[in-house]
Amino acid sequence: MMRVVSYILLTFIAIVIVFPFLWLVLTSFKTYQQIYSYPIIYLPKSWTIEHYQKIASLDFKRYFLNSVIVGVGTMLFSLVVGIFPAYAFSRYSFRFKSELLVSVLIFQMFPMVVFLVPIFKFLDWIKLLDTHIGLILAYLPFTTPITIVFLRSFFLSVPKSLEEAALIDGCNRTRAFLRVIFPVTLPGIAAVGVYAFLFTWSELLYSMSLLTSKRLQTIPTFLSVFVGQYQTRWGPLFAGSVFATLPPLIVFILLQRYFISGLVSGAVKE
Amino acid sequence: MREQKIALRMVMPYVLIIIAFVVLLLISNIVMSFSTTDGNFTFQNYKAIFTDNVFYKSVFNTCIWVLGSVAGQILLGLAVALLLTQIKRGQVFFRSIILILPWATLDIVAGVMWKWMYNDMYGVLNDILVKIGLAKDYIPWLATPKMAMIAVIVANIWKGFCLSGMFFIAGIQTIPRELYEAAEIDGANAYGRFWNVTIPQLKPVLMTTLMFTIIWTINYFPLIYVMTGGGPNYGTETIVTYIYRLSLRFLEYNKAAALSNILFIIVFTIAYLFTKKMAREVAA
Repeated sequence: MMRVVSYILLTFIAIVIVFPFLWLVLTSFKTYQQIYSYPIIYLPKSWTIEHYQKIASLDFKRYFLNSVIVGVGTMLFSLVVGIFPAYAFSRYSFRFKSELLVSVLIFQMFPMVVFLVPIFKFLDWIKLLDTHIGLILAYLPFTTPITIVFLRSFFLSVPKSLEEAALIDGCNRTRAFLRVIFPVTLPGIAAVGVYAFLFTWSELLYSMSLLTSKRLQTIPTFLSVFVGQYQTRWGPLFAGSVFATLPPLIVFILLQRYFISGLVSGAVKE
Repeated sequence: MREQKIALRMVMPYVLIIIAFVVLLLISNIVMSFSTTDGNFTFQNYKAIFTDNVFYKSVFNTCIWVLGSVAGQILLGLAVALLLTQIKRGQVFFRSIILILPWATLDIVAGVMWKWMYNDMYGVLNDILVKIGLAKDYIPWLATPKMAMIAVIVANIWKGFCLSGMFFIAGIQTIPRELYEAAEIDGANAYGRFWNVTIPQLKPVLMTTLMFTIIWTINYFPLIYVMTGGGPNYGTETIVTYIYRLSLRFLEYNKAAALSNILFIIVFTIAYLFTKKMAREVAA
């Protein structure tokens, strides 16, 4: 009985939640006449791909590629900087450990907007303003702490006895890590990397402020150009939005187990 | 002792790159906030903030924005978590649609999608509301300050409730089954079990979720930027959108830095109060 009610309520909530996104997809297949029709047309009368063609003709590929470059760069740097501290936090006790852990947690609470001007000036000073590597650097203070929190929880879930066995077998610390811990937690490490990637994929504020050359800009900036103060070009905007959302959506659905366990680790355990 | 050395070497990259970078940025903000445009020391930037009507307006708006969004996200997240843990088959399916879809949607896409639904003439929301009789006439959602605030809060609940939902699911799963069984033997119905077992057991998770949602909502920028740009008539201007406007539109870097530092103090006071309360409860 309870279960039936749950299913009914969940179905209702699912419809309400999915509707805005469904509406976005539907609108992207309507001609402008149908988009601006009164009364509203719910299902497109004749499906059109003109907005998708328009997007393709505006060199959407380049923005997509730029997003991939920035995303992969941020992913690699966050992992390289984050993986060893995360391991140390999960295995050793050392001086300033709790202070450093607190700093990791605090950094997650920093509003990105407050660092915008200092980062802008800093990148300008080291001549990395308006470059991909500069943007990647600007993301690191925000992605690395998340990476550390996630990775630490994955490392903690590996029993210490596994490495101890490897150590007894004559492996040194590094080899024990590479041979034992790394393979076991590889899916988790990959998922954390993807999480950092998706963070940059969605990020609007820094990408639109720090990359001013058109040929370097990323997808969110590209989309924001269609949002005018007086007029918004909904058709191409929505076609681009659908393109932009599909990759993260697929990845999120496939990796949800890892993302969720990493995300909630800070809140539920400990 | 050898362990100490290894561990310290391992955390070095984080300390040298991230912490040093953040400290540099923080200092840069503090210095800027006490500087005139010529680089002389001044309190003028803080004075300018505290005599600025838009500042007070943005603080008030931030409170409304946080109150509405957090209440909505926590309640919806809790409801979805309770429902999802009731069912066995189809859990991943419902979780993917209800929690993962809004999570995976890009911030800017969420913004434009809702902006279009709120359109007064061609927006689907007005059409539905009139059809089912909830509204008599089309509502100009984003044209008046009050309605615009409600509109961005609703959009933010959609975008953000998934996080509290996931926290609560994880929290509910850690509640021992025996507690429910014991309550059932004592004759508690579903309602009683919820109030006497689920809620008290969830309290620690509830507190952390509350803290994270409050702080994330204060910091959340793109939705308002895309949907209203802080308008109309500063009706949805929050502290973060005002900092953005000060720095990139009005190019008042020093005033923006002063406001940034004020925001820091607000955020960390909230975080401190929460963690202190949580620590005290753990100790008790």
